[in-house]
Amino acid sequence: MFPHLHVASAYSLRYGSAFPRDLVGRAAGHGMDVLALTDRDGLYGAVKHVQACADAGIAPVVGVDLALGPPAGPAPRGGPAPSGDDRVTVLARSGGWARLCRLTTAAHHAGERGEPRVTRSMIAPHADGLVVLLGPRSDVGRAMAVRQDERARALLAAWRAEVPGVVVEVVDQYGYRDAALATRMLALAGSLGVPAVLTNAVRHLDPGDYRVGNVLDAARKLVPLHPRHLEQAASHAYLKSGAEMELMAARVCGGDRDRARGLLAATRKVAERCVLDPLEVLALRSGDPGRLNLPEPGEDPVPLLRRRCEDGLPARGLERSTEARDRLAAELQIIERKQLSGYFTTVADITDMIREMGVRCAIRGSGAGSLVNYLIGIGEVNPLDHGLLMERFLSEGRKGLPDIDVDVESARRLDCYRAILGRYGESRVACVSMMETYRARSAIRDVGAAMGLPPHEVDAIAKAFPHIRARQIRTALSDLPELRSSGLNDRALQTVFLLAEKLDGLPRHIALHPCGVLVGNAGLRDVTPVERSLLDFPMSQFDKEDVEEAGLLKLDVLGVRMQSAIAYALDEIRRVDGVDVDVDRGVPRDDAPTYDMICTGRTLGCFQIESPGQRELVAKLEPRTIHDLIVDISLFRPGPVNSDMVTPYLESRHGWREATYPHPSLRGPLAETHGVVVFHEQVLRVVDTMTGCGLSRAEQIRRDLGTPEGRARVQVWWENEVLPEFDRETTDHAWKVLDAFGSFGFCKAHAAAFALPTYQSAWLKRHHTAAFFAGVLTHDPGMYPARVILDDARRCGVTVLPLDVNHSGATWQVEPLPPPAPRDAPGAVGGLPRMTALPANAGTRGVSGAVENPPQSGAAPANPGTPQVPAGGGDQGGIDDLIDRMGAGYGLRVPFSSVKGISEAEVARMVAGRPYTSLADFWERARPSRPVAERIVQVGGLDALYGLRPGGPRWRPGELTRRDLIAQIGALDRASSPSVQIPMGFSERIEPGELPEMTEAEAVQAELEILGMDVSHHVIAFHGELLDAIGVVRANELLTMRNGAEILVAGVKVATQTPAVRSGQRVVFATLDDSTGPIDLTFFESVQGRCAATVFGSWLMVAKGVVRRVGARAVSLRALDCWNLVELDEAWRTGGLAQVRAMLGDPRQDAGAVGGRRIRYGNGYTISPYADLGGAPGMHQPPSKLWHSSPGSSGPLDPPRPRPTMDLTTPRDPRPRPARDPRRT
Amino acid sequence: MSRIYGDPIEVWTRDAEPARFVWRDRLYVVRRILDHWVTSREWWKISENDPGERRFWRVEAGAGKEIGTYELRFDTASGGWLMLRAWD
Repeated sequence: MFPHLHVASAYSLRYGSAFPRDLVGRAAGHGMDVLALTDRDGLYGAVKHVQACADAGIAPVVGVDLALGPPAGPAPRGGPAPSGDDRVTVLARSGGWARLCRLTTAAHHAGERGEPRVTRSMIAPHADGLVVLLGPRSDVGRAMAVRQDERARALLAAWRAEVPGVVVEVVDQYGYRDAALATRMLALAGSLGVPAVLTNAVRHLDPGDYRVGNVLDAARKLVPLHPRHLEQAASHAYLKSGAEMELMAARVCGGDRDRARGLLAATRKVAERCVLDPLEVLALRSGDPGRLNLPEPGEDPVPLLRRRCEDGLPARGLERSTEARDRLAAELQIIERKQLSGYFTTVADITDMIREMGVRCAIRGSGAGSLVNYLIGIGEVNPLDHGLLMERFLSEGRKGLPDIDVDVESARRLDCYRAILGRYGESRVACVSMMETYRARSAIRDVGAAMGLPPHEVDAIAKAFPHIRARQIRTALSDLPELRSSGLNDRALQTVFLLAEKLDGLPRHIALHPCGVLVGNAGLRDVTPVERSLLDFPMSQFDKEDVEEAGLLKLDVLGVRMQSAIAYALDEIRRVDGVDVDVDRGVPRDDAPTYDMICTGRTLGCFQIESPGQRELVAKLEPRTIHDLIVDISLFRPGPVNSDMVTPYLESRHGWREATYPHPSLRGPLAETHGVVVFHEQVLRVVDTMTGCGLSRAEQIRRDLGTPEGRARVQVWWENEVLPEFDRETTDHAWKVLDAFGSFGFCKAHAAAFALPTYQSAWLKRHHTAAFFAGVLTHDPGMYPARVILDDARRCGVTVLPLDVNHSGATWQVEPLPPPAPRDAPGAVGGLPRMTALPANAGTRGVSGAVENPPQSGAAPANPGTPQVPAGGGDQGGIDDLIDRMGAGYGLRVPFSSVKGISEAEVARMVAGRPYTSLADFWERARPSRPVAERIVQVGGLDALYGLRPGGPRWRPGELTRRDLIAQIGALDRASSPSVQIPMGFSERIEPGELPEMTEAEAVQAELEILGMDVSHHVIAFHGELLDAIGVVRANELLTMRNGAEILVAGVKVATQTPAVRSGQRVVFATLDDSTGPIDLTFFESVQGRCAATVFGSWLMVAKGVVRRVGARAVSLRALDCWNLVELDEAWRTGGLAQVRAMLGDPRQDAGAVGGRRIRYGNGYTISPYADLGGAPGMHQPPSKLWHSSPGSSGPLDPPRPRPTMDLTTPRDPRPRPARDPRRT
Repeated sequence: MSRIYGDPIEVWTRDAEPARFVWRDRLYVVRRILDHWVTSREWWKISENDPGERRFWRVEAGAGKEIGTYELRFDTASGGWLMLRAWD
């Protein structure tokens, strides 16, 4: 039987197209009993290949196809350099896996990153474990191809001298002269007595796949798709059958049957020499813990771990608890049987080390369910407090390896990696990698580049698509209304999309996994090849599944921005208030004011509970304890939502419905959640209770539920195993719950670990509001842009302080404010001064965003037909007032780092040089670049120094302005050039110019452009009059709206999400911010036809929606329609209110419904193919033009011109209801 | 010297290789296959479907006593043969 010895899979990046499992399947179909995988540049697919072979009963051979490089040292430039394309294939001999790993690692360390190279002399030391194939692409083959036969002979002789296991590889892919070359190479091998083998240099599974290969070649080489750049006969590089290979053998042997037979026999012989024992690669499969690559703690780990646990009992106050002792004994028994003691002590050493570095570190995931982890200080969650189970983490029956996950401050994650590397050494530590695969956007980018489209066009096209699979591109173009109307359906782009779809799902590049770190012993590099990551960390070529199969233990060290934000907030509290807060152990976990705040849903910025859906849920659930938060976090997942757990839970929790249990014996596991299954742990307990199978087995059952095949198996198992005391109804009911829960649900240990930072962040928000926001703004942990967080800070009473060269720091800093002064304290922009640059008739609502200017009571009710409903309970209003004031007395200072284009060095110089006495002084000592200096002036960084007050009392000639300072920067810049001599003192004097100061509108526009956020005023404030005119309801008035009322709202779009929902629709959730709070809108598919393009494509929006009251404090809107506010504003200025009303009433062109087949799961759950795609496409940043500017205006620094005035005679109509769209009744 | 033709011809094959062909009303018998190769096509300009490949044979063939070298092309998509070149 013919063995293929040269086979590239899709893990030959941008080269191969078939996955190892499919190749193995085809080989088995051809009746082959040996198959090699020899990917280019690495062993990325090796584990998957060996797994597939072992499963299919095929003997695996593994090798790597490497580029031949110049000998170490500087590459010889000039002269007849060896072609950079020369390649050889290196196979591991039986028992030579470690050699192959080491050689691959060496090749990656010899070449440039991502371009491994080997030389003969690098292979030589490993030669006893390897076989080298010299084919048509090798130096020998290339010399033969250009008829340098003597050189080829010399090269082959040199190879044989250094690497005894060298073999000539002949290939015939039916290209022009392929066969002739093969025949001559065969002759060369014969004349030197070197064995020759036949391969097909396989790249694909089927002949037709060569087209994917063509696209990959073009993408890899960045050349257009043109025959000149492509291989001629690529269609023959597929996995041919034995018969086809015999034909080929006959061809290259010129029809000589004996020689052909000899060639095939030689091939077979080499293959047999290279067959690997699968367990050499797949250590986990052996079931022998001795084969795992375990860390070496230096002493016998078993007593070491026992001792540390014993010490932990009194430290945690558990020395008298029998429950704890029993649990500890049970856990240790499992750990010791699996020989994992050393792993636990090593992880504990690492977490100790991280904390000693002053880095916050918290356990996450199922590891929180282990008492051992708590006792030896890896985590702060006591599993006994929350009923967490060890079995979810590590159990007798579970074959896989445990992995402990810890969260560290995101800003310090790489420091943690370096510390781990420093302690254990590069030979024992490596990061885990992951394969990034082609999806729609990346495929369009690569193909677009290969087709030679201009980069900015490619970028725009790619970004128009949501994060979908590449093969969905053309379907999405016709399914999604916002793409249908985008003009992308152009014929000229059809080829790009067609080619991009062909790349679907193929690995594209390798990247550092966000958290996995392997910690092993000195033999680590015998079992995994290691290359260098972009940041120069040693990185295994295996992904997280592969490393487990290979028997490598890992620790997940995940960088969590919220941990950085908390650490930053704690530092600010210490710096500003001189208080040391121990948020981990020194803060009560039942603080009533914190829970009061959470219950109001004012949780923007808090970990896990800031999304629109979560704000709605916490307001309905009203958590009062950590356990409630654990439930809340677990409920807000597809699983519980899918199986409709939320409503029954809430009803039972609030006592509106009695908790029911499928069977009295299930009260135990389910009582904590009022009879509703919320946690994985409960699934385990239910299964165990009803079948008596034990928790370990129950955990396996739960895992099996995750796949369709597993689900079918479990269903049968369930029918057989349920104990007789449960009747039919109970059995069916319980099955339904388990089935719906599937594997979607949530691990309680994970939720418990999450609940802690959730609570901590909420506690900080409640009690150290300004410091909390400083942390959030500096480390950006959440889903909202900075301007939303800043606005929330304002609403919580924190004063936002503008950039000031004498006060700003490198990052957001808290400044205590002097005791309450008169309202318009200079410098404090939190209390917004009245806007004067608005159209002269600016309404009373102009600045309703101001914290200290609560919305005026004169605000017209938007819909007089709606009776005013009092907001919540009376005390709720009190809580709101309290929250409005909780940050009072502190300011937040915009930092230098917020300025667009500023460098770290500039920031450092600016901070170090404070204080400055003048602009010239700042220029001189902080040495900013001219554009940065100008930007700092534009956003008011020198206002305080020069007493400038844009937007204050009207400017009069002779007063200094920001424009004058900018002119001065120009002068300073010119004076800095060495050729110009300026008299001393010149630079200190600034003459007021003749141009007026910037208006507020111009100032805010500059802030958005330069800082990315509106500091002095909320952008929506400039539209106040229009919004009043059309009767827009503000966010803080929503609670007064009647359920079912149809209202208009407006704001800056701050978030859009398309999560998976029960109905299987694509639902778009959008959050608007109108300076008085967030407004949550839901766009169902029925309205997306006319709304999708606007929702995704605009930044300032007006929307019409129906009020949905979902709880005492929770309101959301079902959107009916929406408009781009900038367009309405334009219409208002040109055509007046009548035109705006016409636009609001005008049913617009409907781009059609959302298409696409629902994805249906076995348990009846359906989702839209476009749900839950991560970041939404479209506008997330303010566009360059936010509001109308007069013709001729070329930028914010131009003198303001008279704006078109409104018709002042039109009385303000409080009822501008747009005509009802007749189609929607 | 070779001349380029491009005439459609009729070919009989044996074991998937050309054995006899008729060109310009004369029957040629293939005596020896000198070379055989294939090229793929610019499929992205044609269609999404596999456009197949073009198979080339360079053969020594004779009509009667005259022996010459000929290059034949078979297009797998159209199933048609062409006489590409002939050497005197």
